[in-house]
Amino acid sequence: MRLELRAVRHVYARGTPFEVEALRGVSLSVETGEVLAIVGGTGSGKSTLAQHMNQLLVPTGGEVLIDGVDARSLEKSELRRRVGLVFQFPESALFAPTVEEDVAFAPRQLGLGEEEVQERVRESLVALGAAGLAARSPFALSGGEKRRVAIAGVLAMNPEVLILDEPTAGLDPATREDLLALILGLRGAGISVVLVSHDLDEVAEVADRVCVLHDGRVRAIGSLADVFYRDPSQAPTTVRVASLLKESKPEIGAPVRFAETLEALKALPGV
Amino acid sequence: MTTRSLGQFYPVDSLVHALDPRAKILATAVFVAGLFLIDSMAGLLFVAATLAVLVAVSRIPAGTFLRLLRPVLFIVALTVLIQVFFSREGVTLVGWGFFEVHSGGLRQGFFLALRILLLVSSAGLLTATTAPVALADGIEDLLSPLKRVRFPAHEVAMMMSIALRFIPTLGEEAEKVKGAQAARGADFSEGGPLRRARSLIPVLVPLTVGAFRRADELAEAMESRGYRGGEGRTRYRELRFRKADALALAVTALVLLVGILL
Repeated sequence: MRLELRAVRHVYARGTPFEVEALRGVSLSVETGEVLAIVGGTGSGKSTLAQHMNQLLVPTGGEVLIDGVDARSLEKSELRRRVGLVFQFPESALFAPTVEEDVAFAPRQLGLGEEEVQERVRESLVALGAAGLAARSPFALSGGEKRRVAIAGVLAMNPEVLILDEPTAGLDPATREDLLALILGLRGAGISVVLVSHDLDEVAEVADRVCVLHDGRVRAIGSLADVFYRDPSQAPTTVRVASLLKESKPEIGAPVRFAETLEALKALPGV
Repeated sequence: MTTRSLGQFYPVDSLVHALDPRAKILATAVFVAGLFLIDSMAGLLFVAATLAVLVAVSRIPAGTFLRLLRPVLFIVALTVLIQVFFSREGVTLVGWGFFEVHSGGLRQGFFLALRILLLVSSAGLLTATTAPVALADGIEDLLSPLKRVRFPAHEVAMMMSIALRFIPTLGEEAEKVKGAQAARGADFSEGGPLRRARSLIPVLVPLTVGAFRRADELAEAMESRGYRGGEGRTRYRELRFRKADALALAVTALVLLVGILL
């Protein structure tokens, strides 16, 4: 499935003193079976953008296209099934008495038969490495386990695009590794993944393309190599200085003290 | 994040905003008490006109302020209907067998409706022009004479300000959980009242769990910063009762007095 955003704008609390323009004309596309990372600082509009992809938020301007069709014209429940959205800290929405029941919530809402529901629950718990937790109470799990269960709850809808809003924030390394492996596995199965993150290491690990969001606008979008290496004019000052330093002092490899950095900086032309 | 209703603070600079919260609380109390002493329509209309001027001075857009009144419209409508249909005072205007509309009933209905709207408006003006923290500080100060009879004024004010402080937080949390469940196919607008109530369970359970967790965290954070009740506690923002505050209070009392006499 191809998801496209055209000149999407979003204004919160319009007409009040709290008015904020979170998105100022964002255009991008998510191609079938790719992993698109969306990076940017806090307040750059990442989470707002994510919620536009399944119409939880309706754009103030611009449009969202699903396989070329305006998302507003699609049946809401159908759209929510095809575009799975995992919120930031999704474990705060766990509610059922058992893990099994919680993961079954979404497939039941879709009106599937009980057998199909159980099948989906089992599959998605296995995919998240949480099969052993099925009978436990979601409130008695560890942070990492809760996160696994919460993501399984969205995966159980068999979405064609999965949007993960900072899925690894505050996680233990083991769960983080498992999640990144899951993302690659989904891509292998032809499912598109949108990974909202500000961890560039994990982006470099799993993303095909990356989109840099700043102040509600797309500052750069393209392959990892394009965005990370080829366009120094878009890099923050620290990165530019670092690469200048590397060019002038190629022997720097080990950690450098601040004083040494200052001296090297002073020796640079044009800094 | 986008819903604002009864009692939302509206942060702009105005003369009303700048008043001491104690003056505003007292003035509101005087206003509310006075409303019940006014028994003429002329008096009520006079007070309503002054309140309208005050809203204009507070620089809150009229539309925003009127939206504050929306939650009570049902009660107002009910009051008017009861008065119109059950009062037998004055001249008969319309009569269809059992249903009779009398001039006295219409007048009484209008009078009561105006009184309810004024009550809500005055309280609304207070909360719209006073930051929640300032409001709690003001209440603490006004209650502090009761400390002598062992009334826990500080604790009550602290509880109030914490409650007020967490309303937007819980609201945000509710939006988030609702969003997360909607992403899992939950629909909150479908079916009869029973089904709709049931559809709220996936929102209410995480909210309750979250609220308890937050309360625990807050208590720990407060204790780790040395909080141990109101004894000998000083305040970051000192309240200052100025001439303007005394004047505002006097004018309020005067307006109500005129209203009562009219």
